[in-house]
Parts: sequence; C-alpha cells; structure tokens
Amino acid sequence: MKNKIYLILSLLIIGGVLLYNYIYQDHRDISQETATYEITATNLVKDFVKDISYTQNKYLNKTIEVTGTITANGNNSITLNNAVYCTFSNSTKATLNTTITIKGRFIGYDDLLEEVKLDQCTIKN
Amino acid sequence: MKNLTTLSLTLLISVLVFAQDKYLTKIGTINLEASVPSFEEVKATNEATTFILNTANGEFAALVFVKAFRFKNALMEEHFNENYAESDTYPKANFKGKLIDFDLNKLSDNQETLNYTGTLEFHGKIKTLEKLPITISKNDTDQIILTGTFEVSVDDFDIDIPKVVSNKLSKTVVVTFNFNLSKKQ
Repeated sequence: MKNKIYLILSLLIIGGVLLYNYIYQDHRDISQETATYEITATNLVKDFVKDISYTQNKYLNKTIEVTGTITANGNNSITLNNAVYCTFSNSTKATLNTTITIKGRFIGYDDLLEEVKLDQCTIKN
Repeated sequence: MKNLTTLSLTLLISVLVFAQDKYLTKIGTINLEASVPSFEEVKATNEATTFILNTANGEFAALVFVKAFRFKNALMEEHFNENYAESDTYPKANFKGKLIDFDLNKLSDNQETLNYTGTLEFHGKIKTLEKLPITISKNDTDQIILTGTFEVSVDDFDIDIPKVVSNKLSKTVVVTFNFNLSKKQ
C-alpha cells in the first residue's frame, strides 16, 4: 500500500515537472543554433529578385548566416550590401565597408524598402 | 487581374519609396495585448516594424513582420504563430492609411493629436480603421514621433480561439504602437 502511494506520488511529481518544462520551455537561442543556410548577401538578394514568395518561404524563421559588406550601422543594427538589415539584441560595433558574417533569424522581406530583415543577430567572425 | 494588382502595387510601392519627403523607421515598436485579469498575461512586442510617412501628404505605410512578435512565454509565442496568426502562411501584416490634416511645418515638441484613417491587413483579412487618434510630435533632432493605440477583435481577422483557452484570452486585442521616424537620407 505504502509502495503504491510512493509510486503515484513520484509519477505525479515527474508529470508535474514535465508539464512545467513544456509550458515554460526556453525560447530559441539563435546564437547557439547551427545555420540552416549559409549565403552571401549578394546571392540572397539575387534569390529575391528571382522569386519573392518562394525565397521568403524557403528562409522564413530559419537561422541563416549571411556574408557581406557593411554599408550602414546603427546602435543595434547592421546593414549588409544596402539590402540585408540585421538587428541585434545587444548594442554592437562594426566598421563600415568591412566584410562580415552575421548569423540571425530571417523574419521576412521588406517590400517597402526592398530589404531582407534578420533579427536576434550575432556576429560570426 | 492578378498581374494588374501586382503591377499597381509595385507602382504604388515604388512611388512610396522613391518620392521625396520621407520619414521612416525600420525598428518601429508594436505591442499586442489580449490579457484577461488574474490569468497569465498575453502580451507580445514587435520591434522590427518598418514604417514610412510621406510628409508631403500625410500618407503612411507600415509593414509588420508577424514572426517578430516576441512573447515572454516561448510556448505562447509558438501557439500565436502556429494556431492564431498562422505566420507561416501570413508572415506579414500591413497597416496603411493617411493622417488627416497633416502639416509637417506645424509639428513641434508639443504632442499634438491628429486623426487617421487606414486599413489593417492581418491573417489575410482586411479591417478598416476610421478616424482614430494618433499622437504626433517632432523633436529637435528632426525625428517625428508617432504613438497611438487601438482595439481590434480577433473575429475581424477570422481567428478562432479554442474553448479551452477562451477564458484566459481576451477577444479584444489592444494594439499600441510607437514609431520614431528619421528623415530618409
């Protein structure tokens, strides 16, 4: 009888822990993920010129690594080749006109500004 | 017909992008809240919205990346994307319209309230927003600051809330936005 109670109790605890971990699971950590695609900024833009919706679906929500030249930078952002806009969770420093590889999550193609947008970026090299 | 729509849309976008007198941001903030008191808050923030204001006529266009809404709770974020916003199918929301009686020269440090009329496209459905208030000001670094809030119903966008969670989730979603626009270089 006592054993049964212990068994039920431990099952409940295990179940509770599993449920808690499911409900309060961690967010994706883009900086720790392996990139699904590695591409140069030039080729990424070429893909979009060819077919916007196909390319957008291909990359949407994926972690990608983009290599390109820094054409603009802000407090929390870097623009590669005037066409890939990357935002960082922390403030970042980078030198204009240098080549860089950035890892981030693709969130969409901005057709107002004709730019690709990545968030949660980190600098690779 | 579809081609015509695409063409006119492309033309419209090119006009929006290439015309002069543009103020814009690429990191506009939008908050969504559908919390019910005494339950876990249902709240998300998006800091990747592109917003462009044409200061010649007060027309604006915003592009919201649905995947960029971040929730405190990762599971909630997953459910939002998969079951409600269906962001794989509808990765973008559009918000466009016109500020009524907008005049760039009248803007100052003091917050002023204008009205705007516009449309909001989300989850493949379009809702018209009529004469809603928006707060506008311009600071000494030549930034235009726009803030506002409005409410929408999930029914307007054809989003079903399952019975199981219906008491923890408000059908009315409060949308708050904040855009700091800089002049386009």
